[in-house]
Amino acid sequence: MSGRIAVLVFPGTNSEDETLRVLRDCGGDAELVHWSSPERLAGYDAYVLSGGFAHEDRIRAGAVAAHDRMMDYVIQGAQRGKLVFGICNGAQIVLEAGLVPGTGAIRKPTAAFTHNAPAPHFVCRHVYMKLAIEPARCAITASLPRDALVPSWAAHGEGRLAATSKHLDEIVTGGHLAFVYAHADGTVDDAAVPNGSALRCAGLVNREGNVLAIMPHAERDAWNFNHLERSDSGDVLAPSGGSIIFRSFVEAVSQL
Amino acid sequence: MTRAIAIGLKIPDNTAYTALVALRRLGVAVEGVERNEVFFFDDDGDVAALVRRVKADETIFNPNKHRLEVLAQAAPRPGELWVEPLERAPNRAAAVAWRLTDARGLPASSQVLEAAADRLLCNPAIDRARV
Repeated sequence: MSGRIAVLVFPGTNSEDETLRVLRDCGGDAELVHWSSPERLAGYDAYVLSGGFAHEDRIRAGAVAAHDRMMDYVIQGAQRGKLVFGICNGAQIVLEAGLVPGTGAIRKPTAAFTHNAPAPHFVCRHVYMKLAIEPARCAITASLPRDALVPSWAAHGEGRLAATSKHLDEIVTGGHLAFVYAHADGTVDDAAVPNGSALRCAGLVNREGNVLAIMPHAERDAWNFNHLERSDSGDVLAPSGGSIIFRSFVEAVSQL
Repeated sequence: MTRAIAIGLKIPDNTAYTALVALRRLGVAVEGVERNEVFFFDDDGDVAALVRRVKADETIFNPNKHRLEVLAQAAPRPGELWVEPLERAPNRAAAVAWRLTDARGLPASSQVLEAAADRLLCNPAIDRARV
């Protein structure tokens, strides 16, 4: 297997341990890299930005982190074809950095994951993300089946995709809408959306297909012990549920 | 008439300090940053009565940490940049007022305010900046 994965830790990141663990359980060669040593990032082939409150979400969620020195390496890496996977707060950072949907300039965001609607409150709710693109459109989803459902937990106060109508049109026509919220049977409607997200968006991909940002935490439904639909038999520590997206990511890294 | 009330922290404002450090790192010539949340009220009555009502609403004002100022106009003052959400939501401020000062302690120029909005303080997908 080739490909080293860095899980970034900003001041305020809080989901790095479970993200690291699921990546390793899916066969990935993953390590934590802290903000105090950003230069280490040059030696990795893929980057995962996990959940939390980087830089305490000051100013806007992801706004300060998008200008952190670690993001200089992530942006340069993305431009050279390295894989970047943002989850929840990591997705907000990737979006503020302009890497997704990638329809504007770097660090000039054309959209935002912003305050939930109709009530601008934190939500914690089990959800399903449905793959809304052809799997091969994004390297990170390439090993998923068509229309894959990824069980996850939405746990955010600022997860609603918002943009001007022009930029929402660009997201649709450019094939950037990677995941939408769905029910367990795969049907898609507004009742499945926990936060009022435009386009029922749960995840975005860039034009080149090497940067993916998802708001729900797939790593919080990724082992038998925390997978809602587990059977009572089998290893409680075995990967299941939302781990399928991390397995697909690790597979993509192995092919770099 | 619409009255504007600015509510800010009287304790150290970590967000404002973060903005100061980040703006300097991004090359914006600024030496001081203050931050207030601005709320609009449609009120034709006595200003003092309005202030009493606002100060009694603990969802937006905590006397232990907040100070309050009635603005003469519902518009940015010299050296101020207002970042306003494109979509107004109930119980949220109508704007975040960033007051920037230069090395002499004077209000920042409109060019500096616009640079601060463009590089950090405003995401045009969800906000508009007013100087």
